[in-house]
Amino acid sequence: MSTEAAATMEIETVPSESKPESNPLPPKPKFEPLKAHEMSDGRVQFRKVSVPPHRYSPLKKYWMDIYTPVYEQMKIDIRMNLKARKVELKTRQDTPDISNLQKCADFVQAFMLGFDVPDAIALLRLDELYVESFEIKDVKTLRGEHLSRAIGRLSGKGGKTKFAIENSTKTRIVIADTKIHILGSFANIKIARDSLCSLILGSPAGKVYSKLRQVSARLAERF
Amino acid sequence: MIPSAMVSSTETALESLHHIKSTEPPEWLVPKQELSQAVRAASKLLFSSLKPYCPKSPFDQLLTEGFDVEQIWQQIDLQSQPLLSSLRREVKKFEKHPEEISKLKDGGVGGGEKKKKVLEQIETDNVVNDDEDDDDMDMDEDDDDEEEEDEEGEEEEKERGTEEESENEGEEKGGIEDKFLKIKELQEYLEEDEAREFGLKKKKTKAESKKEEEDTEEEGDDDDEDENEGSEDDDDEAEEEEDELGLFDGNDEEDEDDLENARYEDFFSRKKNKSSKEKAKSRDMLEEDSGSDDEQDVDKRKDGPSKHEKELDKLRSKIEEMEKANLDPKVWTMRGEVTAAQRQKNSALEVDLDFEHNVRPAPVITEEVTASLEDLIKTRISEGLFDDVQKARTSSSKAPREIKELDESKSKKGLAEVYEEEFVQKTDPASALLTFSDELKKEASMLFKKLCLKLDALSHFHFTPKPVVEDMSIQTNVPALAMEEIAPMAVSDAAMLAPEEVFSGKGDIKEEAELTKAERKRRRANKKRKFKAEAAKRMGKKA
Repeated sequence: MSTEAAATMEIETVPSESKPESNPLPPKPKFEPLKAHEMSDGRVQFRKVSVPPHRYSPLKKYWMDIYTPVYEQMKIDIRMNLKARKVELKTRQDTPDISNLQKCADFVQAFMLGFDVPDAIALLRLDELYVESFEIKDVKTLRGEHLSRAIGRLSGKGGKTKFAIENSTKTRIVIADTKIHILGSFANIKIARDSLCSLILGSPAGKVYSKLRQVSARLAERF
Repeated sequence: MIPSAMVSSTETALESLHHIKSTEPPEWLVPKQELSQAVRAASKLLFSSLKPYCPKSPFDQLLTEGFDVEQIWQQIDLQSQPLLSSLRREVKKFEKHPEEISKLKDGGVGGGEKKKKVLEQIETDNVVNDDEDDDDMDMDEDDDDEEEEDEEGEEEEKERGTEEESENEGEEKGGIEDKFLKIKELQEYLEEDEAREFGLKKKKTKAESKKEEEDTEEEGDDDDEDENEGSEDDDDEAEEEEDELGLFDGNDEEDEDDLENARYEDFFSRKKNKSSKEKAKSRDMLEEDSGSDDEQDVDKRKDGPSKHEKELDKLRSKIEEMEKANLDPKVWTMRGEVTAAQRQKNSALEVDLDFEHNVRPAPVITEEVTASLEDLIKTRISEGLFDDVQKARTSSSKAPREIKELDESKSKKGLAEVYEEEFVQKTDPASALLTFSDELKKEASMLFKKLCLKLDALSHFHFTPKPVVEDMSIQTNVPALAMEEIAPMAVSDAAMLAPEEVFSGKGDIKEEAELTKAERKRRRANKKRKFKAEAAKRMGKKA
């Protein structure tokens, strides 16, 4: 009955083409969502994350902290390929969601970029967190001493500027030579990125602080 | 004791002196032996008579035999120069201390009382004229003898003049003169007045005044002369003082000028004048001499202008005066705006100026004023009524905004934990943690405030509770049902949102059941319109 009604409605709207259907359509099949395991025709999903040399020893140190949540909670197989210097991730049969693999891969990738494990864990727990990377040369072409000075400006004395940005915007920042990585939610990343860019461009730390203060106050007042 | 020989010689000398005096001036033009002898004798006499007064003279007596005129003159000059200076000093002294003249009178100058008497006899008739005539005397001198005699006579007369003056003042005038009244000045004034009235020029002492007179003479205007004289008289009186103090040059200048202004009457009218001319002029009496001349001239001319003419002259002179005053530039007080550069120095002090004072004059501090002030101060202190400035308290109705501090150290919580907290805060408002300042601190401050309130209530007579300051509180839009649950006890009804804050809409909001038929139809029609528009858009996209 409903189909007829639907058909009539359809006929009304599209009078030109109308296939007269005598036999009713079979009911729509209901499929369960595909398991991670069954995707790509039942083949296993892999992710490989290469390990930079400077993260080798921290990886060794924190291996258990990485392994446990991935294996236990995400239900993803993880192993370290020493020869190839890569971390390999594989879905298991009981992996609940296909996105787990990606999340774990992101988590490991974040660790390789330089983030700490407790910070990177947030990637596993929250969906909306992202990692953004950019280089100093994307913002402004600096050479030699100017570059060094810019890097110094970014981190501040004892890293206090970096921490100030991190605390006020609820992000985590990693400054690796000329590359900068920011971990956090989308809006927070934006704020942090703006502050960092202004620092690269040469504004004094005090100015950036004042802006951060305003922003953080606004953020706090949201609730 | 004067030796007999000397006496006889003196007598002869005096005789010769008399003889000289009596000779007429024309006789002097031709050199005569007897005259020269007489002159020499007279000179000798004068020299020896003057010698006692002269402190350092190399000659005891004048050596005339076989000596040239020049040589005799040199001798006289040698004696006279120091004598002159001493005389000058004497005169100056008398000028300053007139009382000494009386002393002089009483005591008598040393040496020569007899001589004084003799001289008096000579001079009695010439007393007044002597003092007055001075300038004309030197004009006649062509002869050396005459000149030298005149010079001698001059010296003598000077000496005599000083003595005479004192004598005359003392004896003849008999005590009229004192500091106030001076016959000299009286005579001067009389002369000036007459000169002004009759429009005659006066003989001046200084060369400049002489020249002015010459100018006026050239102009030939009596009235102008009056003006000049009037102004010059004042100058002359001042100058006279200087002359008296001993400016010898003035005499010479005047002598030169007087030559030009000489008149017939001066020489040949009276014998008295001639003799006075011959005698030395006294420097003290310059002004009077010239004045007396004018007087004499005036006397002669009085017969000329009639009374009517005199009146006319007076009127004319007055008119001239007034016209001149009009033409001249005005006095600075009459000139309108005058700056300091356009008037004399300190001239504003002499004039009584009148101007407005914009400032109230400062109060005069008297004893009463101070006493009144002190009383006021005392009463104020006793009352305690000080006009202190009260500080205006700004009543703050809202709490100060909390400033979030930037934490510059590495956060101890991991990022996951931060977001976790955020999430929890979002979902469960009860578990909202206080973000600002230490909880302990806050607790402590709260306790203290309560304590203070209680103490104030107990201690103050007029206790006013503190105004309620709105504390910063988080208003969470949570349904009342959640609030009234068992678990969240900390949340009170006051923390809830007001209905306006929940929903602030305008217009009439109606429930489904309340809608009228027409409204329902309208609603449906709107919905259909929207759907059609969307469908059309979709068709458009596809095609």
